[in-house]
Amino acid sequence: MGQRCHKHDVIEYDAMSRLNHPTVYKAVKMRSTLNICRKYDYDLVVIGGGSGGLACSKEAAQLGQKVAVLDYVEPSLKGTKWGLGGTCVNVGCIPKKLMHQAGLLGTAVKDAKKYGWQIPGPIQHDWVTMAEAVQNHVRSLNWGHRVQLQDKKVKYLNIKGSLVNEHTVRGLTKAGKEVGSLSIKKILTYLNVPGAMEHGVTSDDIFWLKKSPGKTTARLLTWCLSDVALECAGFLTGIGLDTTVMVRSIALRGFDQQMAGLVTDYMEAYGTKFAWECIPKRVEKLSSGALQVTWTDTKADQEHKDTYDSVLWAVGRAPETKALGLDKLGMQLNKETGKIIVGADESTSVPNIYAFGDIGEGRPELTPTAIKAGKLLARRLAGQSTELMNYDNVPTTVFTPLEYGCVGLSEEEAEKRHGKDGLEVFHAFYKPLEFTVAERDANQCYLKVVCERGGDQRILGLHFTGPNAGEVTQGFALGFQCGATYSHLLSTVGIHPTCAEELTKVNITKRSGLDATVTGC
Amino acid sequence: MAILIQLTRTHTPSWFTIKKQLFSTFRRHEKTIRRSMASDPSTGEPTRFDFLVIGGGSGGLAGARRAAELGAKTAVIENHKLGGTCVNVGCVPKKVMWNAAVHAEYLHDHSDYGFDVENVRFSWETLKAKRDAYVSHLNRIYRNNLDKAKIQTIHGHATFTNDPEPTVEVNGRKYTAPHILIATGGQPSVLSDAEVPGAHLGITSDGFFELERLPKRSVIVGAGYIAVEMAGILSTLGSKTSLVIRQTGVLRNFDAFISTNCTKELQNTGVDLWKNSQVTSVSKKDSGLEVTIVTKDPEKKNDEEKISTIQEVDCLLWAIGRQPNTSGLNLTELGVDTDERGHIVVDEFQNTSRSGIYAVGDVCGKALLTPVAIAAGRKLAHRLFENKKDSKLDYSSIPTVVFSHPPIGTVGLTEEEAVKLKGKENVKIYKTSFTPMYYALTTRKSPCIMKLVCVGKEETVMGLHMQGLGCDEMLQGFAVAIKMGATKADFDRTVAIHPTSSEEFVTMR
Repeated sequence: MGQRCHKHDVIEYDAMSRLNHPTVYKAVKMRSTLNICRKYDYDLVVIGGGSGGLACSKEAAQLGQKVAVLDYVEPSLKGTKWGLGGTCVNVGCIPKKLMHQAGLLGTAVKDAKKYGWQIPGPIQHDWVTMAEAVQNHVRSLNWGHRVQLQDKKVKYLNIKGSLVNEHTVRGLTKAGKEVGSLSIKKILTYLNVPGAMEHGVTSDDIFWLKKSPGKTTARLLTWCLSDVALECAGFLTGIGLDTTVMVRSIALRGFDQQMAGLVTDYMEAYGTKFAWECIPKRVEKLSSGALQVTWTDTKADQEHKDTYDSVLWAVGRAPETKALGLDKLGMQLNKETGKIIVGADESTSVPNIYAFGDIGEGRPELTPTAIKAGKLLARRLAGQSTELMNYDNVPTTVFTPLEYGCVGLSEEEAEKRHGKDGLEVFHAFYKPLEFTVAERDANQCYLKVVCERGGDQRILGLHFTGPNAGEVTQGFALGFQCGATYSHLLSTVGIHPTCAEELTKVNITKRSGLDATVTGC
Repeated sequence: MAILIQLTRTHTPSWFTIKKQLFSTFRRHEKTIRRSMASDPSTGEPTRFDFLVIGGGSGGLAGARRAAELGAKTAVIENHKLGGTCVNVGCVPKKVMWNAAVHAEYLHDHSDYGFDVENVRFSWETLKAKRDAYVSHLNRIYRNNLDKAKIQTIHGHATFTNDPEPTVEVNGRKYTAPHILIATGGQPSVLSDAEVPGAHLGITSDGFFELERLPKRSVIVGAGYIAVEMAGILSTLGSKTSLVIRQTGVLRNFDAFISTNCTKELQNTGVDLWKNSQVTSVSKKDSGLEVTIVTKDPEKKNDEEKISTIQEVDCLLWAIGRQPNTSGLNLTELGVDTDERGHIVVDEFQNTSRSGIYAVGDVCGKALLTPVAIAAGRKLAHRLFENKKDSKLDYSSIPTVVFSHPPIGTVGLTEEEAVKLKGKENVKIYKTSFTPMYYALTTRKSPCIMKLVCVGKEETVMGLHMQGLGCDEMLQGFAVAIKMGATKADFDRTVAIHPTSSEEFVTMR
């Protein structure tokens, strides 16, 4: 099949299912309802070689299915393109976390001086060294994914896939007509701001820039509508660039807003500038090469202007569903988001076609969620299991300079569901030991455990800001999955001296109004 | 009122006592009240409290404060600085040193991440000054906490008297209470010069915190976690470090997976490891200490003993274990049983063999950890002063972290223990080993290893062991779940947090 696909511009793949459940979109499973005996090329065709698609295809192949993955990267407007692995590997989690580490090391150098290191001169950061190292790592992961597909006997086709009918996927090679787009990969939506598209970069581009986004004056503007904006602004500040985040209304929408406030307070304390409640209007390129940004401050209803070296548009990701031919199939989409309406079993409104991952309406845009959902779907399609994905207990971490990890409900959401009087919120402001000698302000190192007030005080949500929040949160997410109560936390012996132990020591309730600052060991 | 009553009870006081009382009044007004509340040695009438705590370390202070919160009139006797081992010569200064060493590791990685950091020099003096200042700050916090809780602090060494009612004497004054808690902790074990000639020339972990300069050449003796931590810190900060161990691996009571890996990591990070070796003598030369070591591989039957020396050693550190602080307490007279190593024998409720006398923390020799002592002290206070009869600490599944390089996290049974307890056929092991993503950009690399020990058909996770970057902060949440009885299926059901190292635990196959 691979041979054929490279020879022809347009190829159609049919897939047949020997199973109860038909086709998948993002994992597309094809099955003829008319002629069971018809011969198909594949049992399962997955459009999109991102985290979810790869996990699903490998799982299905291991369960004996004949599987193909179609993946093709449409370059971003700035011409950035990448290999197999989807958003996470190429323009998401992986490069982001590595650059976050770089940002943390920028802070660590300052701390090191307090710990007795004498470091001469101002410390410079070389973007190229970092970016090349990050890009090399990503390429090694692209290669690793290809090898894995081969090992697991999944056919990898570097072509664009679109849906012809509920049993047929059309693939277009590079030489093919310029139509269609990728499936699970999403492109960034652009605001309707004149000049924005020409004179800015997106988070798809930032990880692949060949030179520092801040050239001489190193001023950078990040337009923030998502957690990615804060994460990018955080590491850019950390490596020493003058970074401003422009925020339309609130940061980290959908997250607990008290925690979001702590995250941005910390960033401000460590040098990231914020322009709150501002909306960019115009971007013009000056003869000097600098970008002049005009924006409206909605608080004062005033217009302002300033110049920057780069503007990063981080407005969230949009689903790539347009050119999949979904309209022709009559697939139900959310008109506003463009995402596919999905059921609890990831089914779409079209039989045989399933959708999961970022493209599913209302689904968390998280790699591990897509992976897990993909594997579970593959098992269900192979008739091995009936287990559905549980989207409620999904933990996550925002890798801002002060990391924020959480699982379960935000305090706001818990209040909505259980009423203010139905909750007991335990909280603590703690000082990480690593901050003491470093003389760092720990005002934003905080945790709270939102519990039911009655009964066993079951934990509804757990939130933690601090160093290593990602590593801290995972185990608690497991406890949360097991139905942990407040007393389960307290009955676990702490690990001293760590930040994580504070979660087992928390004892001040918000209701009491007492000072929640932790003192002593 | 208490003062008045006591004074009226006073018979003719000896001149000595009066002088002493006058002196203390003169010296510090605040202390006057405390002293005058104390007993009068001439009458033998002790000062009474509801709760008397011997030892102002983690366990004693936690128990005392909780008791005071519950309304008990409480006093703490401490002969050194408040805060005990943890604050003064344990967890806290140790972790500060470890953090400093972690910075040394980062400084190696900076150029890989694009920073030009060169010609770096390290000043031990700066670090020590700041560390000491922080510890003093904590000492003051503890003092304030006691004062705020209206707990009396008695400075001095406590000895039980021969009075029929359990009574403690400090600086010639007597104190008693219906409930007396012994929380005197422990101290590093030392060897006598009779055992190893010149042994006194070495220091212990206590002495480590007094070092004014970074030693150029260090020799650490021992294979326990303190030896591992000290060797790691000294070596990472730039001291040429040798570690002398009696057998072939460190941390032998840990899961073999961890023990083997940690031994390897020590060597990878540049520690000069002497296996099957023991220090036989130490002598002082002009250029420093000369440490003589004998090495004999027990596997090679006819192999002769090899004798070597390490010269110019400026820091020889014995980390050969810890012993309880029970000497001088007069426990035998009191009727409190101790084991052969001097640890106080207690039941699950922290009761000693004498009623009204309890013990918590390192002095009991079980799970020598600050949070264990704190929890046990608090549980006891609730039992004694809140009438919570079942209040006791569950000593199972206590998580522990070793601040090695990289750190180790462990909770529950080792594979060996599980097999012994449940039978080999009922134990299932999951393991993984990977290079954390942080090292994707660095030339310095260190693996992360993880292991789950599962038992029974349900695959209940009864042990979790790991070593790698970030394991120190990973463990706590898993410890909660394991305590709840989490199974492998629960691990599998938990959604990962990407990209972290801890997610590997929930994606293991």
